[in-house]
Amino acid sequence: MEKENSTHFGFKTVAENEKAKKVGEVFHSVASKYDLMNDVMSAGLHRSWKRFAVEISGVKAGDTVLDIAGGSGDLSKLFAKKVGETGKVFLTDINASMLGVGRDRLLDAGLSMPAIQCDAEKLPFADNQFDCVIVAFGLRNMTHKDLAIAEMQRVLKVGGRLLILEFSKVWQPLSKIYDAYSFKLLPFMGKILANDADSYQYLAESIRMHPDQETLKQMMVDAGLSKVDYYNLSAGVVALHKGYKI
Amino acid sequence: MQKVALTRLLQHLIAQNSWAQDLLLPFAGKSLQFNVSVFQQTLVVLENGQLAISGETNLPDAVMTISPTTLLRLLAKDEAANRQVSITGDTQLASAFAKVFANAHWDVEDDLSRLIGDMPANQVVDSTKKMVDSVKKSSTNAVDMLTEFLQEEKPLIAKKISVENFNAEVDTLRSDVERFEKKLDKLIKRAQQLHSPKSLS
Repeated sequence: MEKENSTHFGFKTVAENEKAKKVGEVFHSVASKYDLMNDVMSAGLHRSWKRFAVEISGVKAGDTVLDIAGGSGDLSKLFAKKVGETGKVFLTDINASMLGVGRDRLLDAGLSMPAIQCDAEKLPFADNQFDCVIVAFGLRNMTHKDLAIAEMQRVLKVGGRLLILEFSKVWQPLSKIYDAYSFKLLPFMGKILANDADSYQYLAESIRMHPDQETLKQMMVDAGLSKVDYYNLSAGVVALHKGYKI
Repeated sequence: MQKVALTRLLQHLIAQNSWAQDLLLPFAGKSLQFNVSVFQQTLVVLENGQLAISGETNLPDAVMTISPTTLLRLLAKDEAANRQVSITGDTQLASAFAKVFANAHWDVEDDLSRLIGDMPANQVVDSTKKMVDSVKKSSTNAVDMLTEFLQEEKPLIAKKISVENFNAEVDTLRSDVERFEKKLDKLIKRAQQLHSPKSLS
């Protein structure tokens, strides 16, 4: 019974109802330095990965886009340019601190869009609403990934696309170097730059516990998505999955 | 990162040729695999009519196989080479791709103008065009001179008119030989008849 109600929090096993709280604490802690964290973790590549996700989305003027775990609002900003004045982008995040940072940044850029605090496992939207749903570097922090993917599929219009951008399984020959970077260098840099080694340690661990490319693809198929395909970016450090609701 | 770079280049090219987006839009979600010898690449049509390189597990809707020599002929705008391209699967999709790649034009001046401004870009492109034309002209002149030398001064290459005259002479000779052969046959037959025992009696 205890196993059924437990989940991963990095390499630790915690009660399911504790994970969201603990993830929340991590993101409250890093919210103000989230950009710095992303730049440190990805050596600045996260901007290119996000841009690629927008390019692959096929989003056009007039489309409606849902940005889940939108954090700093990077993707919403890029999508806002694509959908133009006739379209709409909804920025969402479960974490109020992160959502606040994203909303303020978008307003500073002259972009006004709905910013909604919500749980991706219980999306507050009707069925068949969006042309594109995207979650970037957020799925691995969700307690019930299968439920979250099913929710994303539910709110998609028929013909709509779900895109998941997430750290994934790196190309095998690079795995040792990558491990050394993640577990030695990353927490050290977290301590130096943000005085928060624990949060960075969790982020590195959560990446390792996240499903690999093929497993995530199968999870999307199981949630009712079709023609699921994925791109390995930077030798599989990150994967972009795309699936259709048909 | 090769996929990212190629996708960006493709999308830039398609954005410069907006007619291509309209042409590809009905095929959104479909993909076509190009096979040129050992090189393989699959392109996907996106929902906005743009193009992207496919992911790792894509199953193409059509496959276009082109031999390296056919590819060179296609690049040289040899329309007869189209017949050498093998297509399996969705032929309408393949045909749309063929139209896009045959007619898409890269607007170099537009790209350059964003880096160095309109006027300098125009001047750079104009000068480059003039230089290319001049190189083409000089090479044509050099080839012409060499041909003339080899035909007139040191006749290693036959002139076209000489080859045609030679061919006509060969044809005439062949006809003459054929007529001669027939006449000879006739004479032989007549001689045989004259010397046969029946005619002697």
